[in-house]
Parts: sequence; structure tokens; C-alpha cells
Amino acid sequence: MIEVKSITKTYGKKQNAFTALSDTTFTIPDGASVAILGKSGSGKSTLMHAMSGLDRPETGEVIINGQDILKLKPKQIDEFRSRQMSFIFQSFFVQANESCYDNVSLPLEIANMPIGKRHQKINEALSAVELLDKKMSRARDLSGGQKQRLAVARAIVNDPKILFADEPTGNLDSVTGGVIEDLLFGYNKSRGVTLIIVTHDPELAQKCDIQIHIKDGKVETIKTRKGVKS
Amino acid sequence: MKVRDIVRRAGRSLRQAKARTLLTSLAISVGAFTVTVALAAGAGGQAYTDSLIKNNGDARNLSVYIRNDSSKSDQPQEHGTASEANRQGLLSGSDIEKLKKINGVAQITPAYNVSAAYMTRDDSAKQYDTPLSIKADHTTLPLAAGSLNDNQVSVGGVVIPESYLGVLGFKSAGDAIGQSLIVHIEKPSLMVGGKSTEAMDKTFRIEAVDKKSSTILHYQSALRISSEDGKTIYEYQTAGMPQSDQYYSLDVQVAASADVAKVQGSIKDAGYDVFSLQDIQAALFTFINVVQYGAAGFGLLAILASVFGIINTQYISVLERTQQIGLMKALGARRKDIGRLFRYEAGWVGFLGGAIGTLLAVLTGLLNPLIAQKLNLERGTELLQFNPVTSLLLIAGLVLVAIMAGYFPARKAAKLDPIEALRTE
Repeated sequence: MIEVKSITKTYGKKQNAFTALSDTTFTIPDGASVAILGKSGSGKSTLMHAMSGLDRPETGEVIINGQDILKLKPKQIDEFRSRQMSFIFQSFFVQANESCYDNVSLPLEIANMPIGKRHQKINEALSAVELLDKKMSRARDLSGGQKQRLAVARAIVNDPKILFADEPTGNLDSVTGGVIEDLLFGYNKSRGVTLIIVTHDPELAQKCDIQIHIKDGKVETIKTRKGVKS
Repeated sequence: MKVRDIVRRAGRSLRQAKARTLLTSLAISVGAFTVTVALAAGAGGQAYTDSLIKNNGDARNLSVYIRNDSSKSDQPQEHGTASEANRQGLLSGSDIEKLKKINGVAQITPAYNVSAAYMTRDDSAKQYDTPLSIKADHTTLPLAAGSLNDNQVSVGGVVIPESYLGVLGFKSAGDAIGQSLIVHIEKPSLMVGGKSTEAMDKTFRIEAVDKKSSTILHYQSALRISSEDGKTIYEYQTAGMPQSDQYYSLDVQVAASADVAKVQGSIKDAGYDVFSLQDIQAALFTFINVVQYGAAGFGLLAILASVFGIINTQYISVLERTQQIGLMKALGARRKDIGRLFRYEAGWVGFLGGAIGTLLAVLTGLLNPLIAQKLNLERGTELLQFNPVTSLLLIAGLVLVAIMAGYFPARKAAKLDPIEALRTE
């Protein structure tokens, strides 16, 4: 369970101060799929950064499984992200010059996994996104959709508990975007992984269990689909 | 992250920027090359000087002369205050006794002045003129054939020059070894221009044949005999003469256990002039060292310049890879890991530069025969001598220097804000 308790984040100082998040509170149950909706500049990305420990709000708590991650030391947050979280970005951020294999290997290397154990995990992740045949191809030779599939493989290889996706289909056409959505929701359902999608696309948001609308740094509405415990 | 993974990733990102990596390492390799060649030339120069000294004299041998006291030399001394020998600027038996008492003096051989009338194979063969020389020190003698024990001629033995072989009727140097040679010695007449009345034949066994070498500064073709035989001939030639027991100089052999400089000092204190090859050797080594350190200094300057190249390259690399750094941080990579990634990358550049520079330097070693030929040195002389241990240490040192140079760019990378780095707009 992720509990966000009255977090506030301000950028800049004094007259130029800009409040990106103000007194934001909500709860996400384990295994839910959540859409954080809002226009650009609404604070939805800041919210994601705060929930993942990349950013530090001035006040408030982010409690994940009973642990306030904002109270952890930087080293411990890194460790926490490495073991529990994963990211997918709008612009993929795959390493163009590296092979698909090495791209997927990165989170395992960061998590200090023994070399012998990596091979099987990487193969599993690549076959889950149907890129096993491209294992040794360089990422730059892939199409946009394939790159995002590679990013999905990289995101799931270390079995995260929480998967953040920042506009995962923003750079893709509707067909390839659909493939990525299916992959993400499929993984969310089959593994019980909490999926948090940051988007401004209402269609994508409607496929999620919970929709959190953000406006001007504040939670506007929280819609929960029927049949989902909150 | 594991060090192995970081090193691998660092190497891989260098391969992505091949031209940049190569150019940066070439800058380092200039320094590595200069330092390696300077050290090699220094080592070669010292080895060459060493052989030069060994072939021209014995470092444990001191030449002792009567003191030419600068303050008194111009003024005549009062009659009767100096010995007959010393009066003429010569040394005598009493000086030998005095020197023998000095600690560390192993042996004293006066510079006997001897001469031979002629040499011949046997009575019926032709007679040839030859200088007669006494080998008192342990100077290495380049030999064409035969062997000498401790570089000394044994009593009754003689070393002949290679150039004598033909006239003496030997087919080869090896042919001459063990053969006998008769030296005719005359006792000079007391009367000026008078014919000598006394003479003797002395038979020597040819022990070795010596040859000319480019490392010998002054080579004289002469029969070389032992000090003992020299003494016998000297005593025969000067018996009853006024110049008996008078020597221009004394050869003092310093004991192996004693310090040459110390003995030299003691003899000087006893009132003599002393010269040793060590003086020359020390002066030559100092000169070589100065040249070597000078050249190595330029190499170090080149390395210093290349350090800025590394820093610059790594800063660019950090800028180019902000997204990668951001991603790695988002995935939980620690600051330490990111910093290491860029420091090791710099380390790779240092290794590459060091390896290229050392390799090129060692390749110049192939020019050794050409250098020896141009400088008219003995064939096989290697003026560039490379030491693998030094080279490895140099490369390791360069890797360290490069890693240190990578510190600032690596710190920049480690401090990078992942949110900024991952912003796409």
C-alpha cells in the first residue's frame, strides 16, 4: 500500500516561488492500476518523482508498506528504488549504442545481482515483450514500439513491486501504443504489481482502476472503478 | 554495482566515441613515449658508460703521484729536505711502504718503466720491435682468444695483440694460445749513446690474444706482461743505475671490501695526488642522469597537459550522457557507482594512452642497430634499454593519474539531478 500524506513541494524562492504540489493526500492499494491525470504543469510528474523518492517534498510523508521513504537516507532510497520500483518513460531512454541484452541487464547490475543469475532473468524479460530474437541487436536499430517494449523488459526484469510509467504511449501511434498498454496491464494483473501511469490521455486513464486528477498541484477528484477496493 | 560491470560499461561507452577516445589517449601517449624513451636511453647510456669504464680501467685502481702542491710548486725547496726521488718529482720505495700501511690498500704496483729490444718466435725467426707494457690493474681486456684469470696476466705469461698474429706466423688467434714467445731484453749502457753490453732472453707463454674495441678510448698494440715479470725486468735493467727504485707513479689496488673513495681520501691526506676512474665514472653518470631527468621531465609536462585533455573529454562525455546518468539514478544506481563509471572511463583512456606510448617507445628499440652504426659503436650495443617492470609501473601510474583527472567530471555526473536529467522537454 502506498500512502501519500499531505505532501507539499515548492520550486524557487520567495517572490518566484512556485508551488508544484500542495497538501496532496491519497492512498493506493497494492496491485492497483492508477492513472495520475492532469495537464502539463499540473504537478503530476512532480507527484511521481515524490512517490519514487527521486524528489524530496518539503512536508508530508510517502509511506510505502509502512515505511516513510522520505525519511530514508539517499543510499537507502537508491537501494529501495533498485529493489522495489521501476520506470518507463515517454522517450524510452534505452541506450541506443548498447545491445538489447545489455539494456535489460542494467537494473540487475545496479541491484548487484550475481552474474550467473542474470542471464535467465534477462531472457525471460525479453521473451515477455517478444524481443528475444533481437537480443544482440543494438537498441538504435529498433523501431519506436520495439524500443518501448525493450524499456518494458528493462522495467520488469528485476521483479518490481511498483511500476511507474510516465506517458508510456505518448510517442507511439495508437496500434503500437495499444501493444504497450496491453503489456503493462497484463503485467499488472498477472503479477499483482502496482502500476502508476502518469498521463494526460483520458482514454488510457479510463483503463485504470483508480484515476487521480491533479490540477494546479492539488488533487481534484479521485475516481475508483466499481468493484475495486480502495 | 560490481566493479567488473562498471569497468565493462565504462569501456563500452569509450568504444562509442572511438575518435575522441583515441585522440585523448594519443595526447597521453606522447608523454608516455617520451618518458619511456628517456628512461630507456638513460639505462642504455649507463650500461654503455659502465662497459666503457670497465674496458678502459679498473674502478678499484688508484693512480698515485707525488703531490704537486700548488702553493709550493713554483718555489724551489731547500736542499736536503726531500729524498732524492721526491726531489725529482718521483716516488720511491719509502712511499710504497708508507702507502701499504693505509687501510684498504690491497696491493701496490709501481709503474715500472721497462722496454724490450725485440721479440721473436725462436732464435732463427725474424725479430720484431714491440713496446712492452705491464698490466697492473684489473681492467677488462677484450680478448680474441684465450682467457685471463681475474683480468690479470699470470707470471711467465704474455698477452699479444691480434695485429701481431700475422708477422709472428700464427694462422689464427686460437693457434697462438700456449705457444712461446722470446723477448730480448738489453741492459742500457751507462754511457750516452753507448751500445749495451748485457742482454738476456726471456721466454713467455702466450696466454691470450687481445683485440681493439670501440669501447677502448686508447688502444696500444703491445706485449702485456704481469707486474711480477715487469719487476724482474725492471730490476735487471736498472740494477746499479741511478734511477733504480724511482717511479713516476704507483698503481694502488683497493681491497674489494674497502670503499674506494675513502681509501682515495686517506692517500690524499698522506700527501699524494690520487686519480681514480671512479671520479670519471661518477661525472659521466651525473651527466647521463641530468639528460635523462631532463627528457623525462618534458614527458611529465606532456602528461600534465594531457590531463587537461582527459578532464575536458570527460566533461563532454558527462554532458552527452545526462539521460543515461538520470536513468541509472532512477533505477537506483548510487552516486558512488555513477562517479566510478566516469572515473574508470578516464582510467581506460589513461591505460590506452600509456599502452600506445610504451608500445611505440619499445618499437623505437628496433632502431638500436642503426643508432649503434651511426654513432660508430661496437656492434650489438643497445643504447635504448627497456625495462618491462618500469613500463608496467608507468602504465599503472598513468591509469591512476587519469582516474584522478576524471575526478571532477565524475563528481559532476554523480551530483546530477535525475529529475533534470530525465526531463525531455
